[in-house]
Amino acid sequence: MSLRRIRLLIWKEFLQLSRDRMILPILIIMPLLQLVLFGYVVGADIKDLRLAVLDRDGTTVSRSVTEAFTAAEYFKLTVRAHNDADVQRALDGNRASVAIEIPKGFADQVERGESAQLQLIVDGSDGRVSQMAGAYAAGIVNRLNTELYPRQAALAKGNVGIDARTRVLFNPAVRAINTMVPGLLAFILLISTSAIMSQAVVKERERGTLEQLFVTPVGRTEYLTGKLVPYALVSVVQASVVFTVGTLWFKVPFRGSGFVLALGLALFLFTSLGMGLLISLVSRTRQQAQQMIIFLQMPQMILSGFMFPLEVLPKWLYAVTFVVPLRYILVVVRSVFLKGSGLAELWPQFAALTVFAVGIFALGLSRFHKQLSD
Amino acid sequence: MTTGHDIEPALDIRDLHKEFASAVAVDGVTMTIPRGEVFGLVGPDGAGKSTLIRLLTTVMVPTSGDALVFGNSVRTQSDAIKPRIGYMSQAFSLYGDLTVRENLNFFAELRGVSRADAAKRATKLLEFSTLTEFAGRQAQFLSGGMKQKLALAVTLISEPDLLFLDEPTTGVDPVSRREFWRIISDLNRQGITVFVATPYMDEAERCTEIAFMNHGRIILRDTPEGVKSRVRGDVLEIGVADYRAAMLVLRALPFVRSVDAAGEILRVLVDATDRKSEFEDRIRAALTDAGFPVTMMRDGVADLEMAFATLIPTGESAGSSAEELAAVTG
Repeated sequence: MSLRRIRLLIWKEFLQLSRDRMILPILIIMPLLQLVLFGYVVGADIKDLRLAVLDRDGTTVSRSVTEAFTAAEYFKLTVRAHNDADVQRALDGNRASVAIEIPKGFADQVERGESAQLQLIVDGSDGRVSQMAGAYAAGIVNRLNTELYPRQAALAKGNVGIDARTRVLFNPAVRAINTMVPGLLAFILLISTSAIMSQAVVKERERGTLEQLFVTPVGRTEYLTGKLVPYALVSVVQASVVFTVGTLWFKVPFRGSGFVLALGLALFLFTSLGMGLLISLVSRTRQQAQQMIIFLQMPQMILSGFMFPLEVLPKWLYAVTFVVPLRYILVVVRSVFLKGSGLAELWPQFAALTVFAVGIFALGLSRFHKQLSD
Repeated sequence: MTTGHDIEPALDIRDLHKEFASAVAVDGVTMTIPRGEVFGLVGPDGAGKSTLIRLLTTVMVPTSGDALVFGNSVRTQSDAIKPRIGYMSQAFSLYGDLTVRENLNFFAELRGVSRADAAKRATKLLEFSTLTEFAGRQAQFLSGGMKQKLALAVTLISEPDLLFLDEPTTGVDPVSRREFWRIISDLNRQGITVFVATPYMDEAERCTEIAFMNHGRIILRDTPEGVKSRVRGDVLEIGVADYRAAMLVLRALPFVRSVDAAGEILRVLVDATDRKSEFEDRIRAALTDAGFPVTMMRDGVADLEMAFATLIPTGESAGSSAEELAAVTG
């Protein structure tokens, strides 16, 4: 191992990066674009759900219920219904995706301190809308309860109160973006590292420069170090950009330790560099490597909990998720960000990540050595 | 260079084999090449020339056998070999996105050439290869001939004692090819041993010795003169209006061993007998009958093209080549 040669290889790699007019902008813009797209679109809370109200009670109390719903930015009153048929038409005609029905005598029941029923009808054709609508409604009803039943609320959680029929567990305080941004940190690291790494190695082999390097005193390990370090550094820059924009612009809270986060990401970095290396070994051309990255991207998104909760997967598919490294780093970044978890809580994930980092990286290394001698 | 090593031949190849999953690329090559030669390796595509060079440059590990480069085993002493050799592979294998000078500096430093030496040599090499005015240009924007000269300059920056060139002028225009070979000759005069694989017979002609490789084996090794003298038969040079069509007519004649075109002149090898003048008459008659009257006919000498065309019949099977060659050359 010669530090001088490694430094030279790293310098060469950066020189090449600087000559490529496309790659550097892509490396910085891509994570930002993903952050904005995922952050604003996928991770955004649904707002302005169209609401139909059928107020059969027509009292001050019942009107305060309607106001409570429309005051929050989640719902927008579009239809004032006068009977069941109106409600049905509004939902059928997509003029409302949520309807509340306040029965006659609602105010009386509230005044007597009895349970009052509130009917919530949700358009189930969009699973995401119905789930969120239910969750928002539950939050609003909770608040209403403390206003309308001050005594009971002061006492304890009683059975008395407005009984909203929809019950979906959700904590409105945790915004979807708060889970999306930390996830992106890991995901971008995975995609860009494995993609650029595999491209760089395949390019070198395609052009014959790899062969040329191996009639110089450069050893296999020196070569790989010279290849890995630049792309690891690029990933660190990318991760820093996502972290900074995520916490400052999207206001994602960071409650944990930077050290734990960095450690987890470093382990994951090795895993994805190793994957990039493996991809470069099975690909003859850069196009093939690119196809392979895209081919692997989708399953990793689905099978890691990045886009959808793992609980929705069927059992056999759920079993597959155990071998997806992204799954573990997602738990780490999200927990460190939002719960401030440390190594004590996250040791199983860290153990898994270590196994992957060592395993995949070592496999990549040994295959690399073998292929070159053939 | 130590004196003890200087008595070693440049290359001492001992029963070298390289097998791939699908084919045997090098099938038992044994030969010794002394220092100071320009050794030409010729043979058809897929003969195993590139693989042999990769084995000798330690880029690949042999399946069995060994080769000594200046006395060092390619199996176990590649670290001792690498500093003394230069290797120019078939494809342009430099960094296209680095400039001419950056490529030179990069490989110089990688090979442990000091900065001062590298700068001095780079200036000399750029001048030598007439690339000085393109020093700041990215290598990918050079012409084919300039790329090859740059590749050569890069392999020379560490001042190797043995230079491996794998089809160095493929895809290069004729002027640049001549220029390239002028450089090779100059280098050889300075004492550098050259091992060059080439598909071009005019390039093989410039070598001090040539080996013909086919199906992974060396089946003939001689000086260019020696190879040509092995050709049995008489050579006729014929001028004719439509030489392409005339070639087909001539090939149909039973006593014609080979026909090839040098410019618009046909070079015909006929059986070696005392009936040469009879053959000449029959050729005239056949061409006139076919509507291509002969405008010129004279005696010629065998060249390498002709030698290999007759020594190595196309479409033969592996293993039979040596026997056939023995039969042809006697």
